[in-house]
Amino acid sequence: MGFLTVLKKMKQKEKEMRILMLGLDNAGKTTILKRFNGEPINTISPTLGFNIKTLEHRGFKLNIWDVGGQKSLRSYWRNYFECTDGLIWVVDSADKRRLEDCRNELHVLLQEERLAGATLLIFANKQDLPGACTTDELRDILELDKIKTHHWRIVWCSAVTGENLLDGIDWMINDIAARIFTLD
Amino acid sequence: MTFSLWWLFTLYLRPIIKWFLRKTTGLCELQRICYGEVNGAPRIRAVERSLALSKSQQIKQLLQHLNDISDNRRFAGTNEREVVRGAVSTVLLVKKVNPHVHFQFVRSLGICIEQIWGYRQLIAEVEALRTTKFDSDCFEHERKLYDLWDNLMPDEGLEGRVTKQWQDIGFQGDDPKTDFRGMGMLGLENLLFFSSEYQAPARHVLSHSHHPVYGYCFAIVGINLTSLAWQMLRDGSAKTYVYNTSKSLPSVRLFHQFYSYLFYEFDRFWVECKPRDIMEFSSIKDRFESNIRTSLQDGNTTFRIGVSVDNI
Repeated sequence: MGFLTVLKKMKQKEKEMRILMLGLDNAGKTTILKRFNGEPINTISPTLGFNIKTLEHRGFKLNIWDVGGQKSLRSYWRNYFECTDGLIWVVDSADKRRLEDCRNELHVLLQEERLAGATLLIFANKQDLPGACTTDELRDILELDKIKTHHWRIVWCSAVTGENLLDGIDWMINDIAARIFTLD
Repeated sequence: MTFSLWWLFTLYLRPIIKWFLRKTTGLCELQRICYGEVNGAPRIRAVERSLALSKSQQIKQLLQHLNDISDNRRFAGTNEREVVRGAVSTVLLVKKVNPHVHFQFVRSLGICIEQIWGYRQLIAEVEALRTTKFDSDCFEHERKLYDLWDNLMPDEGLEGRVTKQWQDIGFQGDDPKTDFRGMGMLGLENLLFFSSEYQAPARHVLSHSHHPVYGYCFAIVGINLTSLAWQMLRDGSAKTYVYNTSKSLPSVRLFHQFYSYLFYEFDRFWVECKPRDIMEFSSIKDRFESNIRTSLQDGNTTFRIGVSVDNI
């Protein structure tokens, strides 16, 4: 029995999932995390380093890692890839100027071997802002249909109002659960 | 258990002890505090506690009135003097103190009231700054952003409003406007104060932030420290600092000074910790916060930025 198998067995017992949340700076990663955890969201500062929250949801224990998105931090993202079950890529749908940058970062990320097999949820965040791109537009701009290596889905949401956050997360949890907890 | 004991103490024992002391010393509790406690945070905090525990209807009404004035930021100028005078005479009446005999008590209580409700008003003032969003269409906001640049990088001009140069002073990208987020204008005002009033220390700190190994993002660390200073102000931990430092009505300036001290000390702490990389920021910030909170628990704490660096 290899080490990974042991890990997998232990995980099955606790129904634990490791979720990594990435995206460009100001995409709304910390706001999503805090909103999901029921904390106030009006006093957030830019994330330097990372935040980690462990929370229970539908009987699963979710370890969510929210890593800062500014350019100088992106080279550290790889330190958090290990054992990731689900990847949440957060997009600021209203920041059209940087969508190209966003696309490039996402596609580079998906080539990463250690993320192979992770479920990918793309949050089209900030849908409450005027001029935000729709999920269909983002699907084209971010060239999502090219992704063949991961189970993925794009979900619109607004971290500020909290709309649709649960839909996205529930889809991801179901997808991960179907993959790693099939035994029970 | 501890709770019910405490409840028993405040409800029954405390009045008995107070009555006993009043009879033996001939002084009310507020007088004993003002004459007995050391000037500064120990005295002001004791007065604050004593007033809050008072069962007298008039005192309760007075506190309500003072809270209302300071929350609405009307505790200033001539109004402030009148309010303090009124509050002191109410206490004198309720406690039956002769102001001519106890003129020192009158002065001392006045100072305590000014500080206690000045602090409360400071929270409201700081909160107003925090909830003002940075607006890139506002000339004044933009002007302040440029001033920040000029203070920190006097020898280098900005090539444009949106430029990668902002990263040299530690903003995340090429436009700082989204970096202020939850801290709003408070974040910018804090940085601006630090860089203009403590120009030499600020540049010294900025040069540390460019260190190849122990470098960090100056402005983003600054905004995170704004958040820390704001939390400490709100939860009352900063009272020790304010009460010991303030010579008159506490103002936003004092909050900026508190922030500047935190920034300067954080930089020193960061370098001392020899972090492996910037990803250690959260854990080092937590350790720094608990150090500061520990020193604020000591009633005699005053913070001052080390003078020696001013000459570097």
